[in-house]
Amino acid sequence: MENIRNFCIIAHIDHGKSTLADRLLEYTGTVAARDLTKQMLDDMDLEQERGITIKLHAVQIKYQSHDKKNCTLNLIDTPGHVDFTYEVSRSLAACEGAILVIDATQGVEAQTISNLYLAIDAGLEIIPFINKVDLPSAKTMIDTVKKQVVDLIGCKEEEILMGSAKSGMGTDEVLEAIVTRIPAPKGDPAAPLQALIFDSVFDEYRGAVAYVRVMEGTIREKDKIRFFSNGKEFQAEDVGILEMQKKRTGTLSAGDVGYVIANVKDVHDTKVGDTITLADNPAADPLPGYKEAKPMVFSGMYPSNSDDFGELRDALDKLKLNDASLIFEPESSVALGFGFRAGFLGLLHMEIVRERLEREYNQNLINTVPNVEYRVTTTDKEVIYVDNPALMPDAGKIEKVEEPFVKAQIITPTEYIGNIMKLCMDRRGVHKNTTYLSPERADIHFELPLSEIIFDFYDKLKSLSRGYASLDYDFIDYFDSDLVKLDILLNGEPVDALSTIIHRAKSYEWGRKLCRKLRELIPRQMFEVAIQAAIGSKVIARESLSAIRKNVLAKCYGGDITRKRKLLEKQKEGKRRMKRVGSVEVPQEAFFAVLSLEE
Amino acid sequence: MASIYIHIPFCEHKCIYCDFYSVVPAETGTEGYSQRQQYISSLKAEIEILAENKSCNESIGTIFFGGGTPSLLHPSEIEQILDTLAAHFSIEAGAEITLEANPGTVDKNKLADFRTAGINRISIGIQSFHDDDLKFLTRIHSSSEAKKCVKDASEAGFENISFDLIFSLPGQTLSRWKSNLEQAVELQPAHISCYSLSVEPKTPLFYMIQSRQAAQVEMERDADLYEFTIDFLSSHGYEQYEVSNFARRDPASDFKCRHNLNYWNHSNYLGFGPSAHSFWINERWWNISNLSEYIKKINIRTLPVSEREKLTAAQLMEEAIFLGLRSEGIDLNGFRRKFSRDLSAENERVISELIKQDKIILVNGRMRLTAKGYVICDEICQKLH
Repeated sequence: MENIRNFCIIAHIDHGKSTLADRLLEYTGTVAARDLTKQMLDDMDLEQERGITIKLHAVQIKYQSHDKKNCTLNLIDTPGHVDFTYEVSRSLAACEGAILVIDATQGVEAQTISNLYLAIDAGLEIIPFINKVDLPSAKTMIDTVKKQVVDLIGCKEEEILMGSAKSGMGTDEVLEAIVTRIPAPKGDPAAPLQALIFDSVFDEYRGAVAYVRVMEGTIREKDKIRFFSNGKEFQAEDVGILEMQKKRTGTLSAGDVGYVIANVKDVHDTKVGDTITLADNPAADPLPGYKEAKPMVFSGMYPSNSDDFGELRDALDKLKLNDASLIFEPESSVALGFGFRAGFLGLLHMEIVRERLEREYNQNLINTVPNVEYRVTTTDKEVIYVDNPALMPDAGKIEKVEEPFVKAQIITPTEYIGNIMKLCMDRRGVHKNTTYLSPERADIHFELPLSEIIFDFYDKLKSLSRGYASLDYDFIDYFDSDLVKLDILLNGEPVDALSTIIHRAKSYEWGRKLCRKLRELIPRQMFEVAIQAAIGSKVIARESLSAIRKNVLAKCYGGDITRKRKLLEKQKEGKRRMKRVGSVEVPQEAFFAVLSLEE
Repeated sequence: MASIYIHIPFCEHKCIYCDFYSVVPAETGTEGYSQRQQYISSLKAEIEILAENKSCNESIGTIFFGGGTPSLLHPSEIEQILDTLAAHFSIEAGAEITLEANPGTVDKNKLADFRTAGINRISIGIQSFHDDDLKFLTRIHSSSEAKKCVKDASEAGFENISFDLIFSLPGQTLSRWKSNLEQAVELQPAHISCYSLSVEPKTPLFYMIQSRQAAQVEMERDADLYEFTIDFLSSHGYEQYEVSNFARRDPASDFKCRHNLNYWNHSNYLGFGPSAHSFWINERWWNISNLSEYIKKINIRTLPVSEREKLTAAQLMEEAIFLGLRSEGIDLNGFRRKFSRDLSAENERVISELIKQDKIILVNGRMRLTAKGYVICDEICQKLH
């Protein structure tokens, strides 16, 4: 056990975390350079495309240290986006140390700090590594970045490692530091078993596969295991370590990282954060678990074709097997039929789920505009949570509406402070304080309604700071707001899927823009269509879409009927994909029109 | 009663908007003549091969020479083709035999010879009575030549004369188009076809519009011109019997084009020549759109078919709906017998709404479009199932 090191790599997005992981695998011969597709640990297509690690994975590395110790290093990968803070904390709990990667050309950024704090909270040894020092633009920055790191971690300057994950410079120093600076795991192989499930995936043939870190005791194949959370018992059938593939070893002891397969058919039994013990010799207590991932963003997901509801449910069920943070429940909409209201960690998470449903499960989806969850106190003092604007009680029955607020931390070069302040103010933010990490870098704290940052806040922030500002945020609490429900009506019929909840001060402008956008998106019909935005019974904006004037193919002779029929079939298919509101046909893209409303 | 279509794939010049298959012979004169001769023997061979392979025991009620520019052929060549058809099919005594004619390719004598050869209906591609329109469309004739052609045709013995006109040319005003219609009805043709200029992919016009050398007419203007056309022609003695087709009301004769009606009635038809389409019972097929490939196939006694499709009952029904609606309406009882579906009952809500809006009418068991309905014919077709 004294030669085992369990560690992870944490960084702000794009600072080179996955590249460093690749170098470690290559340098130690865990994987041959020629087999190394760029960023080995990201094996989901989507991850490679987006260059972010979404699902964490673990891999074992064999390394002989300079003093000839044969060490086993377990690298546990972490996701790098603000939506996935929760998953980062899962990985950290399985480690004793973390390499903190900082881009020499960018310096400390918002997630550098948030991830660092998570690691410090988890009691990990931190090894700072300044990456990309070979870039020409790094030269003038290195001393500043070093100072930022010293200030942030409180380490000595000589404890900071430097190198380039891309070229491999500094890889050897990183490996040595892992061995010499990160403590070996503690724990007693003979004690009652306590194994922390830090991830689980579902394998179609083998059932749930739990990724575990054994804290105390030993688990062997044929052992009867028990899950603390639900008391269910299974027989361990396949136990092993995680090299590039699973490698069966038959046993895992205190300090080890590996997998357990126990013929568990329902992945919900292998709950992430749960503790596995042995039925015959159980530990007295579980390990401290994580708090449940809390979905922050909600959206309706409907099949384009109403007949595919069952298929969508199956696809969501399967997806959930590998994504514990996804929640969903059936709902129905007058406009869209039967579908699901799903909760996500953030917008990126939502995008990823949608893309995976479309690519991996061949689903055609309509997504409604995402929203947050509101806390409503009714006039009879009942408190309800509303995650679908259409279900907001009538204004007359509401005593107050509260919305979730977040504490946002934005790190930016000082020249963009003005722009960022304005953006946050426009989004109803309350400035808390600004500190300076260096004369050129500010750390700005705002309290903002979550609803104001879920659409395009991040993109706006990036564009007005030329990509330099970074963001991290954390839920604080629900606070009272002057919110109204804005409905959209087509020829007098409300379109439930287009209802939004919005601050009163912004509702008029919003209503106008939305009506205008819908007028562009809804094709002309055989009759005139009135598009209205209303708060309660009060119409606050109106556009009118005039009736279609002409739609007929002039030429249909020469006997080529096939071409005409195919054209018509195509048009009919397009119509079939539209949703009917009263007698108005609404194309699917109208249901997320709000996302493309320009400022 | 079945129909026969003969495609003549030659033009003196390709007009910018046309996407029908044709080639411009390398040279006119002897070389053009030999190319035509080669084509006509292939065409005759195709008729023979098909007749040998397919038993078509239906009599032929209409023959249509389309193109391309069929009037480029010599009347004797038309006669040869008609003789070949007569040798293999039973042509009805009163068959309607149409030839499409470009005013720039015929004179009175030639027209008289066509008449003698057996052509009894002539469809003249006038397109516009304004020379600048004709120039824009790159037609080879002038307005005065067109008028002369009409006169010649009449003097050559044609009673059943049809005009093709095009509206919604870039920049066309209502008064310009109105003057076209006025000049047309003044000549009292038996039949007028008015097509809205459609921009077909890969035509020179398409690229002109893409590169903004020409502006496509907006839907509003196009609709205005079309609605005006319908009003104007019906108040000048013409009956609309299809989206783009109008026949002169005449107590003695019916001037609707029987050939085109057959396409829209689901009657059987055979097409010969490159790119020609055929329909027989429940099968559609069409020839390759390439003259030399076509000739090669014929030389090895093979039918030059590009593709075939067998229509399902659902596809036939779909066709019956849109073909019926765009022409003389759907015979609801006939529809029920043929497809075991009650179209009016199954679409009751949509239909009663359309009747209320004066877009559909029910007369003598037929459901047909009104003038207001024709304007949005395709929209209505998409609503019926």
